[in-house]
Amino acid sequence: MNPRTENLTPRRDAAGVSLAQALVYELRVRDAMTCRLRTASPRDSLRSIQLLMKEHRISGVPITRDSALLGLVSIEDIVHALDQGHINDPAEARMTRHPVVMRDHYSLVRAVAEFDRFDFGRFPVLDVGDRLVGIITRGDITGALMHHLERRAEEAVRKEAERTAAAVPDEPHRRFILNAEVRAGDFDSAGKLSQRLRQILRARGVEPSIRRRATIIAYEAETNMIIHSLGGRLTATVGADRVTIEAVDQGPGIEDLDLAMREGWSTAGPLARKLGFGAGMGLPNIRRSTDQLDIKSDLANGTRLHAEVLLQPARAP
Amino acid sequence: MKLADTLSRLDARVISGSPEVEVRGCYISDLLSDVLAHARPGALWVTLQTHRNVVSVAAMKDVAGVLITCGRQPDPAVVAKAAEEEVVLLSTPLTTFEAAGKLWELL
Repeated sequence: MNPRTENLTPRRDAAGVSLAQALVYELRVRDAMTCRLRTASPRDSLRSIQLLMKEHRISGVPITRDSALLGLVSIEDIVHALDQGHINDPAEARMTRHPVVMRDHYSLVRAVAEFDRFDFGRFPVLDVGDRLVGIITRGDITGALMHHLERRAEEAVRKEAERTAAAVPDEPHRRFILNAEVRAGDFDSAGKLSQRLRQILRARGVEPSIRRRATIIAYEAETNMIIHSLGGRLTATVGADRVTIEAVDQGPGIEDLDLAMREGWSTAGPLARKLGFGAGMGLPNIRRSTDQLDIKSDLANGTRLHAEVLLQPARAP
Repeated sequence: MKLADTLSRLDARVISGSPEVEVRGCYISDLLSDVLAHARPGALWVTLQTHRNVVSVAAMKDVAGVLITCGRQPDPAVVAKAAEEEVVLLSTPLTTFEAAGKLWELL
């Protein structure tokens, strides 16, 4: 029998939030930025940069050395140089040093806030390794939103068609798969999947202590992603003899797993702590609750947690 | 002892659910993971947190109820979630220390 799958991803549109508003939270700067960069070196003259701008119809050129960002020359800098007669100076003499940057993992809502705050036309974009990976303008943000709105609309039409084609009746003992997307910083949506998991295990008559262990793992894994990751996906599968919980995030990965497994050690920020998170007990709680635990984490791919709880008490007779 | 029998000593009022439940012991913490690790089912959880995650944690641990101290009020969405998950919420103007003192005598 096919498993029954439920998606518990919080629906912002259901709470009266438009799809466009939801998208500015979901999409990242890396989804909207221009990656094909025109850069110049610090020794290049402002004149040559002016020509570069003209040729490619761009309004700002990052000045780099070995993909490290040294500064930015904007169209305003060029106008000023022409006015003041130093258009033949090298870029390094006139560029804006230490320009305000964005990070590729910022949400678009944060990006829009930065545009409002600084009133610059463009921001260079750096990744976690401080490498220059793109440049972003307000136009890029609008473009990305339009593009994704269109794609979502097409997707919705297709899904609706699929749904009407395959309406399946519910069965009490089939395998259950619960899915939820987890957004970074979205504390208000925490706990939906573990709540549903609790209901299912309760309905199946699973012993309360086992039910508690399974829901604690799901909850701690979810809040870990909300607090520490850039977002990810939580899946709980209720099979005949075990509950399997998987949490896969998009990074940035756990720097020192041994340290993170230690009770009381936490890197949670002030907001999380104010809400009662960040006790440094998330992973220790998961370890205590699990019958089998596997965590893989590296700074390139993020973290993948796999935990199993046996539905028959196998630990103690 | 019934949770309802503690209300007058704690100067507490019921925000959500029915206090006609058995209460066995007490756990005091404002850290959610700490409660997940150490609170026992059936205990009264005392905290000054009012965020909706308090309800999730209380439901997961099957505590008898949550006593919110210092007169703090959870917002209506949290109260609604507590009703949905059948979690008993109480509120008292006492500080956590004062509430703990009373509970030490009662339980």
